[in-house]
Amino acid sequence: MLQINDVHAGYGNLKILRGVNMQVPTGGIVTLLGGNGTGKSTLLKAVSGLIPLMEGEVLFDGVAISKMKPHERMRLGLVQVTQAKEAYPAMTVEENLVLGAYTRRDRARTLADLERVFEFFPVLRERRKQLSGTLSGGEVQMLVIGRGLMAKPKMLMLDEPSAALAPKVVLEIFANINRIAKTGVTILVVEQNVRMALILAQYGYIIRDGVIMMEGEAKKLISDPAVKESFLGGSVANTAKALRN
Amino acid sequence: MSFDYSSLLAFIIFGVTIGVVYGIVALGISLIYSGLDIVHFAHGEMYMFGAFFGLVLAHNVGVPYPIALIGAMVLTALLGMAVERVFYRRLTRAGGGYTVAGMGMIICGFGMSVALVNVAYFIWGAEAEPFRANLDYIPRLSFPGDIEVPESYVLTAIISVALMAALHYFLRHTKTGLAVRAVAHNKDIAYLMGINVPLMISLIFGLACALAAAAGVLIGPMQSVQVEMGYLMLMKAFAAAVVGGFGSLPGAILGGVMVGVFENLGAAYISPSHKDIYAFLLLILVLMFKPSGLLGVEAKVKA
Repeated sequence: MLQINDVHAGYGNLKILRGVNMQVPTGGIVTLLGGNGTGKSTLLKAVSGLIPLMEGEVLFDGVAISKMKPHERMRLGLVQVTQAKEAYPAMTVEENLVLGAYTRRDRARTLADLERVFEFFPVLRERRKQLSGTLSGGEVQMLVIGRGLMAKPKMLMLDEPSAALAPKVVLEIFANINRIAKTGVTILVVEQNVRMALILAQYGYIIRDGVIMMEGEAKKLISDPAVKESFLGGSVANTAKALRN
Repeated sequence: MSFDYSSLLAFIIFGVTIGVVYGIVALGISLIYSGLDIVHFAHGEMYMFGAFFGLVLAHNVGVPYPIALIGAMVLTALLGMAVERVFYRRLTRAGGGYTVAGMGMIICGFGMSVALVNVAYFIWGAEAEPFRANLDYIPRLSFPGDIEVPESYVLTAIISVALMAALHYFLRHTKTGLAVRAVAHNKDIAYLMGINVPLMISLIFGLACALAAAAGVLIGPMQSVQVEMGYLMLMKAFAAAVVGGFGSLPGAILGGVMVGVFENLGAAYISPSHKDIYAFLLLILVLMFKPSGLLGVEAKVKA
């Protein structure tokens, strides 16, 4: 569904991504793992069109989208769920959700989808008239995912859905992401929470310093010691080893 | 001699009426500020062009005053959108507000102001032209104590309130209005919602310029229309926007009314020859005690 071929991108003269190759198959859940400042969010921005590519190309459903404006890519069904802090705090929950369906003209189906989002996240129904700035961290995360669903996506890209949330809430959110995937939406999750993301996904990529360092089936990655090491960083892992000896 | 309450009432009524006009110009400035993160220094000239468009439509073309008002709003909106698209877009795309490009935008706005004044001077000349509007069908309002409010003031109050109500309805209750608010808050997220952000920015600019034009056509019959009129209006509208809290739309209206009333009272009871100073006196007072303005929120700092 999504194909990223040799993508180079960055900000101004600063190149962050240095040749990223990735594939997300239709109907699957793929995760992109990496620490802070490794290029995860830059890749999402390059795919959704917020920053231009320096080199390479991005294909969605077989269509080259690298030259399209962000709103045009979104209309193809490639929807990025923003980080939770990027809900519109001065708008109500319902307004945020309606905004998610901004591109759609089919009113009846949109209302049905609003009901579906409320079924996924019942707490949003209770809070529908509340300003989203007054929600808790977990509720805002549910709101931005719900807002993404309102766009009737073929593929959802999630930017760190577990960020700054309690483990119990993370579990609930990931369970819902899994339910969304079961309805036929392809999913790309960008995460720092390695364990949770690899349990959820079928396939994983690990990014570091703007290149894909490692990839493989999630089941294999989760037990691979090199994965753990790449996250702790060489020196910390070595120290840990030295301590044990 | 006892205090003359009925003339105080009259000064306040006139102050409020002129104040709502400052308010709708300030509304445009605030709208552009919250939407594009720029302070538009050529907005006074949009007001001046609106007044001239209205004048030409009413006198030369001969359409009735309400049609001239709407026509001037449409024409000025188109002018504003063209100016934004051709001259400002490059700068705002590089980031407005507190970036280096934002500084360039301020200078560009000043330049545009001078350029537009000269274009208007070239077309219409330097003389002040009276705006004669036939407003006999509007009733004069009479208040207790022999206060008569002329037709043009009544009309101004009605139209200003109608414009504010329409803008409020548009922003709060329509999907496009929701998109405008989304763009004003954060353009990147708005893009991810599938909103055509450049189009919305044009729309914001067009709306703001249409409001300025309405103010120009409304002020026309009270004063006269001339090329230099934009400058003072810009200053008053800025004062109004800052007093109310920059970027706040209800604040712009409140600020406008306060500036209008304050300057009318100042002119009446202190000295009429310094009428234009009082707006800034009020501005300084408000900034001393509440730097974010009366209805302003915390200064909006963007990374």
